[in-house]
Amino acid sequence: MIADGVEDEEKWLSAGIAGLQQNAFYMHRALDSNNLKDALKYSAQMLSELRTSRLSPHKYYELYMRAFDELRKLEIFFKEETSRGCSIVELYELVQHAGNILPRLYLLCTVGSVYIKSKEAPAKDVLKDLVEMCRGIQHPLRGLFLRSYLSQVSRDKLPDIGSEYEGDADTVMDAVEFVIQNFTEMNKLWVRMQQQGPAREKEKRGKERSELRDLVGKNLHVLSQIEGVDLEMYKEIVLPRVLEQVVNCKDDLAQYYLMDCIIQVFPDEYHLQTLETLLNACPQLQASVDVKTVLARLMERLSNYAASGAEVLPEFFQVEAFAKLNNAIGKVIEAQENMPIAGVVTLYASLLTFTLQVHPDRLDYVDQILGACVKKLSGREKLDDSKATKQIVALLSAPLEKYKDIDTALKLSNYPRIMEYLSDGTHKEMANVIVQNIMKNKTCISTAEKVDALFELIKGLIRDLDGDSQDELDEDFIEEQNYVARLIQMLHSDDPEEMLKIIQTVRKHILTGGRKRLPYTVPPLIFSSLKLVRRLEGQDESVSGDEASTTPKKIFQLVTQTIEALTSIPVPELALGLYLQCAEAANDCDLEPVAYEFFTQAYILYEEEITDSKTQVTSIHLIIGTLQRMHVFGVENRDALTHKATGYSAKLLKKPDQCRAVYACSHLFWLDDHDSIRDGERVLLCLKRALRIANAVQQMSNATRGSSGSALLFIEILNKYLYFYEKGVSQVTVESIQDLIKLIRNEMQGETSPSDPAADAFLASTLRYIQFQKDKGGAVGDKYKLIIV
Amino acid sequence: MPSRRRALLKVIILGDSGVGKTSLMNQYVNKKFSNQYKATIGADFLTKEVHFEDRLFTLQIWDTAGQERFQSLGVAFYRGADCCVLVYDVNVMKSFDNLNNWREEFLIQASPTDPENFPFVVIGNKTDVDGGNSRVVSEKKARAWCASKGNIPYFETSAKEGTNVEEAFQIIAKNALKNGEEEEIYLPDTIDVGSSSQQRSTGCEC
Repeated sequence: MIADGVEDEEKWLSAGIAGLQQNAFYMHRALDSNNLKDALKYSAQMLSELRTSRLSPHKYYELYMRAFDELRKLEIFFKEETSRGCSIVELYELVQHAGNILPRLYLLCTVGSVYIKSKEAPAKDVLKDLVEMCRGIQHPLRGLFLRSYLSQVSRDKLPDIGSEYEGDADTVMDAVEFVIQNFTEMNKLWVRMQQQGPAREKEKRGKERSELRDLVGKNLHVLSQIEGVDLEMYKEIVLPRVLEQVVNCKDDLAQYYLMDCIIQVFPDEYHLQTLETLLNACPQLQASVDVKTVLARLMERLSNYAASGAEVLPEFFQVEAFAKLNNAIGKVIEAQENMPIAGVVTLYASLLTFTLQVHPDRLDYVDQILGACVKKLSGREKLDDSKATKQIVALLSAPLEKYKDIDTALKLSNYPRIMEYLSDGTHKEMANVIVQNIMKNKTCISTAEKVDALFELIKGLIRDLDGDSQDELDEDFIEEQNYVARLIQMLHSDDPEEMLKIIQTVRKHILTGGRKRLPYTVPPLIFSSLKLVRRLEGQDESVSGDEASTTPKKIFQLVTQTIEALTSIPVPELALGLYLQCAEAANDCDLEPVAYEFFTQAYILYEEEITDSKTQVTSIHLIIGTLQRMHVFGVENRDALTHKATGYSAKLLKKPDQCRAVYACSHLFWLDDHDSIRDGERVLLCLKRALRIANAVQQMSNATRGSSGSALLFIEILNKYLYFYEKGVSQVTVESIQDLIKLIRNEMQGETSPSDPAADAFLASTLRYIQFQKDKGGAVGDKYKLIIV
Repeated sequence: MPSRRRALLKVIILGDSGVGKTSLMNQYVNKKFSNQYKATIGADFLTKEVHFEDRLFTLQIWDTAGQERFQSLGVAFYRGADCCVLVYDVNVMKSFDNLNNWREEFLIQASPTDPENFPFVVIGNKTDVDGGNSRVVSEKKARAWCASKGNIPYFETSAKEGTNVEEAFQIIAKNALKNGEEEEIYLPDTIDVGSSSQQRSTGCEC
C-alpha cells in the first residue's frame, strides 16, 4: 500500500507517535523501578517506530525528535546504572541483543555515549566502532537520521584539543577522521537516494533530498567547530578530503549545497589561504551546478571580511585574491557557454564589489572587470531581461557608491561602453543614479571635457533616445529634468575660459533635448552664464584686447542664441523673463546697447506672443520692475522704453489691472539713488491717471451692479501718494493727500458702498502709519504733521 | 519527586545570522571564543550540568542556524522546549527588529500549552564591539520591547569577553525549570502488554 496523500501521512505519523508514546510510558516505568531488562525491551520497541518507510523527511524528523528526547532519559539511566556498579562494557554488549538492527544501533550509540564519558575505553575506539556499525543501515532516510544521531551524541565527546577525551597522540586527527567518515557515509546515502525508486517520482525525491541536506551539511559544521583544526590541517587534510567527496559524488544537488556549506562554515582566513584549491574544484563540478551562485557567495563573504578592517587586507594581497578570482570567473564563464547573461553580470558584479572593497586604489582592476563584461555583452541585442538589468545597474552603481565621485567613474573607459548595452529605460534609470550621486556627494565637475563625457553618459535624460518620444509630461519626467537643471547649476570652473567652454558644451547637449526639455534646461544654463558675466564684471576691459578671451559681450551673444531656441516651443513668458534677467546683467556691465536689445526682445515677445491677459499682467510688472532698476540708459532710450511700458499698462484688459500697472509706472520717474531720474510731474501724472481709472471702475460698478465697488484701489493709490510725499516730490501736496483721504472715506461710508473688511483694515493701518510718522518727530515728523486727517 | 525526567532542561537559542548564538553557547559551555565567523547548519545542542537549589540539572542548549537556507528540515526540535533565548546584535538594528518574528515563529511552531507565560530571555550581544561606539540599539529600547512582551528578562552580553554570559544562563536555567514543572504527563489509553508496532511497520526487517 502506498501512502500518497498528506492525510495518509498524518495518519501514519500519529500512529507512529502513539506507538512511541505507549512504549515510552512503559520504558519510564521500567526506568523508575530500575528494571534494566524492561527498559531495554520497551526502548527497543519504541525505536522500532523509526523503521517506517512511509513518512516524508519532515514527518520522520518529528517522530525522530520524540524518540530522541526519550533516549536522553535512557542515557541518564544508563549513566546511573554504571554508577550503581553495572559494567559499561557489559551494557554495551547487552544492548546488542535487540532484535532489529535499527533500534539496536540507536541503543548502541546511546550507550556508546555513556561509554566514552566513563573513559573506560579511548574515545576514538568507541567512535570508530560506532561509525563502522552504522553501516548496517543502508536505507537512505533511516541511515541519515541514525548517523545524525551518532553525530549529535558524540558532538561533545570528540577527542579534540582541550577536550577531556583528548588522548595521547594525534587525537585531533581521530576526531577529524571520525567526522569525515560519518560525512562520507552520509553523503553516499544521500546521493544514492536520487537513484532509488521509480523515475516518475524523480521530482519528489529531489524535494525530499533537499529537505535532508542539512543532516549531511551538519558534519561540515561539526568539522569547523573542532578545536585544533588549524589552517595547516584544514589545508592539508580537511579541505582536500571534503572536496574529494564533493567532486567524486557527481551529484549536482550535493555539489551545489556542499560547496555553499564549505564556504559558509569555515572561516574567511582559511578560504583566502586555500583559494586556489577551492576554486580549482569549481570546473570539476557537474555542468548543471549553479557555480556562479557559489562563487558569488564566496566573493560576498570575502568582501564582508575585507570590510571588517584594513588590517586584514594584506592577507588578500599576499595570496593575490583578485587575480585568482578573476581567473576562476573567466574559466567558469568560458566553460558554461549557455550561462544566461544575467548570470555573467551577477558574477562580475560580485567580483567588482570584492575589488572595490579590497583594492579601492586599483581603478585598472575595476575597468578590467567592466571590460570583460563589455566583451560578453558585445554582439548581443540591448538588454531587456529584468534580472540582467537589475544586476547591471548594481554593477554600474557600485563604483559610484564606493568613490562617491563621478570623476572616478568618468576615468573608466569601459563604463560608457556598458551603458551602450542598456535598454532605453535602463539607460535612463542609470543616468538618474549618476545624477543623484553627483547631487548627494556635491561633486564639482570642472572641465568641459568631463562635462562632455558626463552628458554623453546621461544622454538618456538629455534627449529622446530612439523610439521613446511620448509627449505627455509625467511627474517622473519633470523630476528628472529638474535634476538635470540642478546638475547644470553645479558645473563650475574657477577659470572663466574653461567655464565658458563648459557652458558651450552644455548648450550643445541640451539643444538636442527637444521642446519638452528646453523649458527645464535653458533657464539654469542662462543663469549659469549670467553668473559668469557677473564674475567678469569686476575685471577690467584691458583683458578684452585678446580676441579669444572671454568677454561679457561674447557670453551675451551666446545667451541670446540660447534663449532664441525657446521661441519655437513657444514659452514666451519664460523667454521674456530671461531677457529681462539678461538686460539687468548687461546693465551691471554698462553695456547700454546690449541691455536695450534685450528689452526690445522682451517687448517684441510681449506684443506679439503674450496674449493671455493674466500673463500680460505678470509680464508688465516684471518689465516695470526691471526697467526701474536700469541706470545704463541715456535719456532717449529710457524715454522710449518707459513710454512703451506706460502704454502697455494703460492698455491692459481689466481696469483694476490697468490702474495698478499705471501707478506702478510712477516709480519709473523717480529713482531715489539717481539724481537724473527725478521727474515729479510725470510721477503725479501717473498717479492722477491711476485715480481716473479707479474712478472709472467705481462708475462702471455703479452702472452695472447698482453699488460702488471696493475702495481698495484708492487706498493703494493713497499709499503711493504718501510714498512720494515722504520722498519729497513737491508735486505731491498735502492738500492732494487730504482730499484723497476724504474721497476714500466718502466712498466707504456711502449708502451704496459694500462693507469690505480688507479695505477697512488697509485704511486703518495706513492712517496708523501716518500717525506713527508724526510721532517720530524730526524732519519726517514735521512733514507728516502737516497732514490733517 | 525529583523525577528523572525533570533533570533535563531544554533551551533553544534563536536569532538572526551572525548575532553570536554559537559563540554564546561556546562561551557558556566551553569557556571558549573565536573571532572567526562560521555559519551554523541545522540545529544541535551542547549540554551543561548546573546546580540549582541543591539539585543537579542537565541543560540541553540548542544552537540553531540563523540563515534560513540551513534549516531545511524544519523546527521539530522546538518541541518540548523549556525556555527560548532570543539573541540580537546591539550593533545591528535589523537583528533587533527581527526578534518579534523569531518570538512569534517560535510560539507558532513550538505551540507551548501556555504561550502567554512561556519563558523567553532576550540577549543583546556584542557589547564589546568598537568599545560600544558602533552600538545602534539602546538598552532602553530593548528593555521597553521586553517589557511590552510580558516582562521578558533582558541581558547585555559580550560572548567575546564573557561578560554577563554566566548571569544570563543562570536566569535561563531558572526560568526553564519553572516552566518544566508544569509539564503534561502521558497516560496510555489501554494497557497493552505486547506491542503492535511490528505489524504496523513496513519495509525491510532491518
